Amino acid sequence: MNLTFYGGQERGLINLDPRTKFLIFLASGILTLSSYSDTGVAVYSLFLCVVIALCGKPLTAIKSALPLGVVLYLRAVLPLSKGAPSLIVLLITALSTVFMFGFPMVMSLLLIVKTTRISQFLSAFQAMHLPVKVIIPIAVFFRFLPTVADEWNGVRKAMAFRGIRLSPVQIICHPWKTIEYVLIPMLFSSIAVMEELAASTMARGMDVDIRRSSYDRIKLGVADYCLILIIIGMMIGVMILGHMVKGGIAI
Amino acid sequence: MARREIATTYIHEDKKLRTKDLIFAGAFGAIYIVLMLMVVMVGGTIPILYIITPLLVGIVCATIYELCVLKVHKFGAALILGTLFAVTTSSAYLPGMLLAILVAFLAELVMLAGKYQSKKMFLLSYVVFNLNMVCPFTNLYFNRDSFMAMATEYYSKEYADGVAAFATGWLPFLQIGLAVAGAAIGLVIASKLIKKHFEKAGIV
Repeated sequence: MNLTFYGGQERGLINLDPRTKFLIFLASGILTLSSYSDTGVAVYSLFLCVVIALCGKPLTAIKSALPLGVVLYLRAVLPLSKGAPSLIVLLITALSTVFMFGFPMVMSLLLIVKTTRISQFLSAFQAMHLPVKVIIPIAVFFRFLPTVADEWNGVRKAMAFRGIRLSPVQIICHPWKTIEYVLIPMLFSSIAVMEELAASTMARGMDVDIRRSSYDRIKLGVADYCLILIIIGMMIGVMILGHMVKGGIAI
Repeated sequence: MARREIATTYIHEDKKLRTKDLIFAGAFGAIYIVLMLMVVMVGGTIPILYIITPLLVGIVCATIYELCVLKVHKFGAALILGTLFAVTTSSAYLPGMLLAILVAFLAELVMLAGKYQSKKMFLLSYVVFNLNMVCPFTNLYFNRDSFMAMATEYYSKEYADGVAAFATGWLPFLQIGLAVAGAAIGLVIASKLIKKHFEKAGIV
């Protein structure tokens, strides 16, 4: 396993504060659901790719931007193809929509997961004087998303190894068995990870309710303020545009 | 064996939410949301499946919820799970988000009524909790025009019409019914699986 899986040590061109990243995460949920336009989502997705590249993960950004480009191209070409069978057109539309819809969310998650260590996350939110009971579930939530993906891969490999296929036919024919085969090993190994995490926090003395110090200097910098302004501007813009679309004005 | 007994008495007597419990709630939240998003992403491609996601998610995610509340055994597990759910799925529409948190709180109250001991109340609380799957759809009920504009722009006219065909006045009630049915089916599976695997392993 590569060690940068849970936030690496290397520094990028700009080092964002975890709070800014969290704001980006919240904003991408809101923006994708209320922008009402393909172009808006595409611009925002590219913006996220640039932010991730600047934060020191240019490879991740390029790897994600390529499929985005392909999907955008397909969506642009699709209305022009009159002769194509309608079933394929429908299928491509549906799949590309799911992709477009999920892309900003996934990118902002990647931004948090790949470039932030848990200790940075904790100390940034502690600086906002939020209670520990709020911070820890959120931090663990983000820490655990890559773990779930990891466990999922493990379960899939183990199933393949034993000759159990995870094809759509199998899922439709044996839904109960599929749930059991996938869920049980995943939950068992996740619970083991949780126990370890709990033991580790116990050893670090997180149970004691005092302000903790951190090696990482957490401070909102110029880049953070710029990004926060951009995000707020986008939200206001999207709200105005959304009202225009609702009022029936075409853009 | 003795160690396990000490551990269980410790869990049952301690009423305060410890860091350990917070970690369990956050981690189960991550598993719950990943699985839910997988179901919704697959269902999102077809209008009819999209409408019945409360049923599908109820069936798939019941086991995770039950494990989470059985593992924590205190006030707060369902609330944390529900809040994480609300923030990740319905943050675009504020009333929907608040409703999702309220539903999680109600589920918590159901468990409180059983004093965090009664198994029936733990099961019943999921029926309430699964109602939060309806909350992301509140945008469709109360804010229909904007939802249709979005569906037309992202998918196609056909998809929007497909959803519109179902989105009549009785849709909220249908979806609430589906959520309850999904939770009921999911609970049957969950209690079987928990009995078969997790109780034997001494995890809950």
